[in-house]
Amino acid sequence: MRGDDRLTTGRGRYVADLRVAGCLEAAFVRSPVPHADLRGVDPTTAARMPGVALVLRADDLAGVGDVPTMFGAEDAPPWPPLARDRVRHEGEPVALVVADDRYRAEDAVATVALDLEPRPGRATPSAARQARDRGDEPLYPGHDDLALAKDFGPPVAEETWRRAHTVVDVKLRQQLLAPTSLEARAILVEPDGERLIVHCSHQFPHGLATGIAGAFGLDVGIVRVVVPDAGGAFGSKSPTYPEYLAVVAAARRLGRPVRWIEDRTEALTAASRGRGQDQRVRIAADADGRFLAIDLQVDADVGAHPLGAALPGQTGLAASEAYAVPEVHAAVRSWSTTTTPTFAYRGAGRPEAAYAVERAVDELAATLGADPVELRRRNLIRDFPYDTPTGRRYDSGDYAACLDRCVELLEPGRWRAEQARRRDEGGWPLGVGIACYVERSGGEPGILEEYGSVTADDGGFTARVGTSSTGQPHGTVFAALVADRLGVAAEDVVLVEGDTGEVPEGHGTFASRSAQMGGAALAEAADALIGTARERAAEVWAVAVDDVVWDKGTLRSGTSAMPAGELATETEPLRAEHRFTSPPAFPYGSYGAVVEVDPELGSVHLLRLVAVDDYGTVLDQTAVHGQTLGSIAQGLGQVLTESVVLDDEGAALLRDGLLDYLLPTAAEMPRDLRVDETAVPAPDNPLGAKGAGEAGCIGVPPAVVNAVADAIRSLPGADPTRLRMPLTPAVVWAALGGVG
Amino acid sequence: MTALDVDLHVNGTEHRVTVEPRRALAVVLREDLGLTGTHLGCEHGVCGTCTVLVDGEPVRSCLVLAVQVRGRAIRTVEGLEAADGTPDPLQTAFSEHHALQCGFCTPGFLVLLRGALDEDPTVVEDDDRLDALLASNLCRCTGYEGIRAAARAVGTQRAREQ
Repeated sequence: MRGDDRLTTGRGRYVADLRVAGCLEAAFVRSPVPHADLRGVDPTTAARMPGVALVLRADDLAGVGDVPTMFGAEDAPPWPPLARDRVRHEGEPVALVVADDRYRAEDAVATVALDLEPRPGRATPSAARQARDRGDEPLYPGHDDLALAKDFGPPVAEETWRRAHTVVDVKLRQQLLAPTSLEARAILVEPDGERLIVHCSHQFPHGLATGIAGAFGLDVGIVRVVVPDAGGAFGSKSPTYPEYLAVVAAARRLGRPVRWIEDRTEALTAASRGRGQDQRVRIAADADGRFLAIDLQVDADVGAHPLGAALPGQTGLAASEAYAVPEVHAAVRSWSTTTTPTFAYRGAGRPEAAYAVERAVDELAATLGADPVELRRRNLIRDFPYDTPTGRRYDSGDYAACLDRCVELLEPGRWRAEQARRRDEGGWPLGVGIACYVERSGGEPGILEEYGSVTADDGGFTARVGTSSTGQPHGTVFAALVADRLGVAAEDVVLVEGDTGEVPEGHGTFASRSAQMGGAALAEAADALIGTARERAAEVWAVAVDDVVWDKGTLRSGTSAMPAGELATETEPLRAEHRFTSPPAFPYGSYGAVVEVDPELGSVHLLRLVAVDDYGTVLDQTAVHGQTLGSIAQGLGQVLTESVVLDDEGAALLRDGLLDYLLPTAAEMPRDLRVDETAVPAPDNPLGAKGAGEAGCIGVPPAVVNAVADAIRSLPGADPTRLRMPLTPAVVWAALGGVG
Repeated sequence: MTALDVDLHVNGTEHRVTVEPRRALAVVLREDLGLTGTHLGCEHGVCGTCTVLVDGEPVRSCLVLAVQVRGRAIRTVEGLEAADGTPDPLQTAFSEHHALQCGFCTPGFLVLLRGALDEDPTVVEDDDRLDALLASNLCRCTGYEGIRAAARAVGTQRAREQ
């Protein structure tokens, strides 16, 4: 991919690699407890420490506005960048120390004395609900601890449950996850007179510029956000975080560059997390196994600030998943808890929905004695567009073909024979699991548009787009796309993105939107450039536009010929822009897993994993394959090893960092991994492209848990409904009937 | 804290730096010598992103103090290319096999593999040994498939050349 040569030779430039003369280092004083009154912050000693340039507390930021929420509640409580009077989650920033060196900044941080009067925490949605039912003082005076409650689809009629042949009722938990990009958050702010240059590892630079400008009452035009190389994000790097505003305040006050490079302890205890839902799902079916109704109840822990309070709505909207069901209803409640804010993490609401529905479908299959594949096949949506009861319009697909391909690669017949053999002759229990999903890509109203432009000059062509790579190969894929439209070599096209000084507008990179929305904007802009160039040439040569052809970057008419760059130089700059808008697209997939379980140790061994996704028309097979594999690894992380475990007050039990929060390594990746795609083009997209990037996070967890459930279901004393993610040996052992 | 003069031998070049004894090798490489290819991902020895070779052996440079490696031969990702600029076969293979996405963990994996291959080129030929080696480091983007493939490709190439 373009840029690999820099990244493999140590010449990448991530925020922490930027060398800016006179740059100071920021470090935060953070709350050591989840919930307390903050009676005092004493920075006296810190301010006198060697190398310390500035200490900031909440009182010093009186003129700075609140931290903006991104997918928040309408009734947003105040959120000062540094906590004032009260701390509401472990790691909440309380003060900022700026020094000439990181070690010295941390020395000073250690001397800042906090006067804290602890209050009881509420770590979970049920604790929040109980506190509210008791009439306890809410987390924010005058604001309901039920930050948001919303229904999707009409409630399922009581009659439907009564009439149904079978109803399953399953309770599930989506554990909290730490997104854990290997580069944690990073920002470097350079004041330049009145202007600010903000270098930040960020998914949504225009949003960050707006957020900073809003908090400081600045014209957004004087805030330039530049995203250099970025070391991963996975949904977590699109907000304007409180730390960013505090660093901007420090840089402005000192008139000097200041950077904050988050360390791993901060990332694991104080940064936003993903998932976090208690779920109850009910499915009603008739005697033939046709689904009559789905009801999904979600209680989400959104943390101490409603940064992403509306995100669980994505789960509600997705409650139909891949099935034609007459009645579907979801109720989503977002609860304020004394934990760090819950926000987007790869999949952001869709993995939660797929897991709930797909786990329940397997429990239904077991109750009916039906084959899980056949039960799904019978209920899949066949006709498109399809309007779900919860308010989605699925654009296109052939869900059955995708499931068929998955089954072909999974070979369940072969594994069922082995399962039977082991049951007769002995051996570790073996299970086969399957899961289907539908996701939404492109975004929601408000961000269902993207900016693209293409310019021609002497040096070739420059494409600008409002997305922002945090590790995706946009430079390769978008340059190739524009080059293809223009009929020129990819090397002649340069991509510029992630710089609000260079790209006038943009909605960034998340919701698997870049190829679909940004790609379409660039394709249309490239087409428009050809039109503009032909018109210009027609004028210069005094011929009809129809008599001018665009021939691989050169304008021709009769015997006249002129490269586009030369035409631009001799007349005026040649530039075309396009703002692409469209409804969202709906990628989908089918996943399969084969596992064996060591009943004594409770360990799960993955024998085969199959992923078949439909991303519409694929622009770059290598890039998309990479996205599939990476999201599969993160899905395996959720189902097998990753979990932010909290104590009763809401503090994370992750004292040994990444030795406690277990990311998958190469050793966790299955050797027998079969990845394939189907490709039903997106009808609303000129490229046919649907988003690709989150699939594995959605499909893997239910497929693997269903496989483990299948493995243990027939064992005496086992109860598959006790399975929880991550499937640690203790969890599996408990589900097997052991004491857990 | 009293700073000490320390002579460091990095990628074939001698450097004298004046640093506090508490400064990690990774920090000195990055901040004092400007060798920012060595990244810091966790600063507690788990992720392996900061891996460098000390006398040929892969070590976590976040867990080693600069004063501990005086006079030892340190090799970082910036020192993988040959003197004439020819890339290390691993660097080429990582790109060819899409073994990197965001690239943040890449220097650590490259240096880890270079150290391991120099000690025993057959380490990449056996799946179990290769996974045990790669499990030293963390990647959050690729799912490791590309990294496995790149490592195997370099092993195969080397075997063919012998």
